[in-house]
Amino acid sequence: MTSVTESKWVGRSIRRREDPRLLVGAGKYIADYSIPGMAYLHVVRSTHGHARILNIDISKAEDYPGVVAVITGQEVADAMKPMLVSSIIPNLGGELQIPTVYPLAIDKVQWVGDPIVAIIAESKYIAEDAAQLVEIEYEKLPVLTDPEEAMKPDAPKIYDNWKDNMLWKGQLASGDVDKAFKEADYVLSERFYGHRTGAAPMETRGAVASYDEFTGLTIHVNTQRPHILRMAISQIMSMPYDKVRVIAPKDVGGAFGTKAPIYREELLISYIAMKLRRPVKWVENRMESLMTIGQERDQIHYLELAVTKEGKIIGLRDRLIADSGDGRIGVYLGFVMPWLGAAYLSNAYDIPNVQIDVSCVVTNKPSLTPSRAFGEFPGRFAMDYAMHLVARELKLDPRDVFEKNIIKQFPHVTATGITHDSGDYEGAFRTLIEALDYDRVRQEQAEARKNGRLIGVGFAMGAEMSGLGSQIFVPMENQPGYGAATVKIDTHGMIQVFEGDSPQGQGHETTLSQVVADELGVTMDDIYISYGDTFVTPFASGTLGNRGASYTFSAAVLACRKLRPKIQQIAAHLLGVESDGNDFTFANKEIVWKKDPSKKIALRDIADAAILGPTKLPRGMEAGLEATAYFEADIAGMLSIGVHGAVVEVNPDTGDFKILRYVVVDDCGVPINPMIVRGQVHGGVVMGMGNARFEKYAFDEAGQPLSTTLMEYHMPSAADVPDIEVIEYNVPTPYTPLGSKGKGEGIPGPVPATLASAITDALNIPGFKILNLPITPESIWRSINEAKVPT
Amino acid sequence: MQPIQEAQQTVGNGMKTIQVRVNGKIAKKEVPIRMLLVDFIREELALTGTHVGCSVEGRCGACTIVLNGDAVKSCLMLAVQADGADIMTVEGLGTTDKLHPIQQGFWEKHGLQCGFCTPGMMMSVYNLLKTTRHPSIDEIRDALVGNLCRCTGYEHIIQAVQYAADQVAAMSKEERDEIFSY
Repeated sequence: MTSVTESKWVGRSIRRREDPRLLVGAGKYIADYSIPGMAYLHVVRSTHGHARILNIDISKAEDYPGVVAVITGQEVADAMKPMLVSSIIPNLGGELQIPTVYPLAIDKVQWVGDPIVAIIAESKYIAEDAAQLVEIEYEKLPVLTDPEEAMKPDAPKIYDNWKDNMLWKGQLASGDVDKAFKEADYVLSERFYGHRTGAAPMETRGAVASYDEFTGLTIHVNTQRPHILRMAISQIMSMPYDKVRVIAPKDVGGAFGTKAPIYREELLISYIAMKLRRPVKWVENRMESLMTIGQERDQIHYLELAVTKEGKIIGLRDRLIADSGDGRIGVYLGFVMPWLGAAYLSNAYDIPNVQIDVSCVVTNKPSLTPSRAFGEFPGRFAMDYAMHLVARELKLDPRDVFEKNIIKQFPHVTATGITHDSGDYEGAFRTLIEALDYDRVRQEQAEARKNGRLIGVGFAMGAEMSGLGSQIFVPMENQPGYGAATVKIDTHGMIQVFEGDSPQGQGHETTLSQVVADELGVTMDDIYISYGDTFVTPFASGTLGNRGASYTFSAAVLACRKLRPKIQQIAAHLLGVESDGNDFTFANKEIVWKKDPSKKIALRDIADAAILGPTKLPRGMEAGLEATAYFEADIAGMLSIGVHGAVVEVNPDTGDFKILRYVVVDDCGVPINPMIVRGQVHGGVVMGMGNARFEKYAFDEAGQPLSTTLMEYHMPSAADVPDIEVIEYNVPTPYTPLGSKGKGEGIPGPVPATLASAITDALNIPGFKILNLPITPESIWRSINEAKVPT
Repeated sequence: MQPIQEAQQTVGNGMKTIQVRVNGKIAKKEVPIRMLLVDFIREELALTGTHVGCSVEGRCGACTIVLNGDAVKSCLMLAVQADGADIMTVEGLGTTDKLHPIQQGFWEKHGLQCGFCTPGMMMSVYNLLKTTRHPSIDEIRDALVGNLCRCTGYEHIIQAVQYAADQVAAMSKEERDEIFSY
């Protein structure tokens, strides 16, 4: 018989516990929630990019049979504070102008899709019908869609009371940058652009809100951060904290950052439920979703690298301009992503002298909202591709340029203040080079070239955050970075774990069970996981930024370790042996005395004594078996490395290219469930490929979105992507109890530079470079033709 | 199975009575003639395993069902167009006690993360494996072009389908007919 101690749960590719219900169609997503008497909300949105609202006529909509209420902006604004309250405003220094925003527009709209009128009806069909009857009269205003135009002193202002269109301006700098550039043998200077793209989960946003005067507001909403949303609703609506209950559904259909902000519709539906004293449901349609959430990236980098002739980067200067859109979505306000992108710009490289000037500019587009590879996607493209360009200019092998610059000593603090805790970036890089069979690919490339085939190899890296400790999280979001979990042994000796975060497909029910099973010597089936309900789970910042395996699960481990001494004391008492509270092993759901393994007792019997039969406890011992722990790593930052490599073949006549191989070498410390980690890597890479190649939130000069269906916003299908090879290269971190790190968040980041460098290598045309995303056959073809023009 | 009859009754006020057989059970209901089939399945029959992921443009595939033996997108049909149809949704595929090989494959190979696209994805796989005994990777990828997944990058889905295909290939004809009866 296999005992638990022989087969540890952590580290095994165990099938997920959440899957059976999802596989038989019994998952419960927000659209599956309903409450008797529920009405349906539909939001009427702006059809103009920038306009004054002259008049809103809701009379016909109000008279439409089945309409319950039609609500406009001023009424909602009168019932609450401007949404950007202090608890959801970042505090990152620099110069910040804070826009005023309410759930519905009042006298002005700032982007196509800006919510204006709320229709509440007996069915969603009726609500949509009535929306067609709302008549809004606009006076068009000049539309700004280009951040560099919007920055000009004579540009029309988007916010009348601002001094200009600069949302946030700040600098990240350290070292003597001017000196580095003076001493450099070579300076690379390019303008890179990472377009507006992002996550777009398969499930859109949605909420079901209800209210009564005794229990207050209950809102089921597919948020990544139920506790933060609860806090925000309470403050914005001036409601007592005990009268706001946010519940994230058990099943959420993906989020990737897009469900992290505090959205206007969440406050709107809360207000409506209160006003009508009726449950209200809202499920965003895909068009609204593509107009509103997950629009990220959208950064221009004027990047300069000061390099020695050996390829060592001694200085980095960057002017980062982000198109923040309207910037009115808390917690991030459209500038936290570019800020973090700047902070992480130097990636996995040891660059002592850095100066990055960040300008986040408002335009008539929806606010940037987070998407996986938070703020990093354009910068990773610029930085890593620039290193390949450096190698080409200096006639060095890019492999050597990367090796020369990779961080080798840990912990390492970058010039922008990011702490890399531990790892072996160089080893991971070399593993990739081996896996690619780099030297052989070079030979094959030469052979293929003789036959007119253009093969190329490229690579890039990504040091992705593994949670963010409070040292960064408090200034960044005014919220704690700790992980929080409660572990509670129930009357039957089963273990209930409460986490303050709330997952969206990451598999917490499985991996958290694996972790706790090891700590308490039980099986995964003895554990059940509770999350999502802010009335029962400990406060935490949400499932985002790779916090799970790094912070939250570490908190669960600590909570188990808090319980273990008490369990042992009870065991010793019941067994009648002497114990210091640390001389038992936990295995097979039993507590076994190390000195004499025949002395053992079932965990269930200990639970029975602690909870149902407290008279059996040692004299004076408090009843119950539960503990809450808050984990904070004893270091300012943890990151984990991923190294990507690709072999591509390019058709120079059409600019099209084919990915022949895509390989990722990945470190996540100690993988709790390697199969789940691989799934994260596959999904992250493919999202990166979609973002880098096919997906683009496009706008015309009037600010009209041109990508409001999934036909136009082309997320990759199975036939659009290659196989992804994943190689584990795990280095446990000493800063978490299990050595585990989070994984999944940053994986798309290295994809564009990997592809761009491989394509550039394949073409081997002097002067050819890819400076703009997305990388399409057309953009490659144009770059080929530009490079061919004699200068 | 016996063919199922249309209800052939029309009532006023834009309503029509329809009759369908869903997962082997007959349902006869009066529905608004403009009601989408996916809303009928989700809201009238309370079979919420079928999902809506796009603005009913037929791109995401989360609403895919098997209708009269073909995988179709239930957001691109009206409920009244399904009058007289034989339908299978994910709820008819298998139970937790007896998973269909497709469900088993998705479980074993971690073919799902958030699970939102999975029911529709499995309906398309059903369509593929019903007719193709040993699909190649390219055939699997092609068969899934109508179903978007944002979590998995498809790698584990491909493996899940291969796993299921192997299971199906090892079955007798009778067993196969039983699990591909739609």
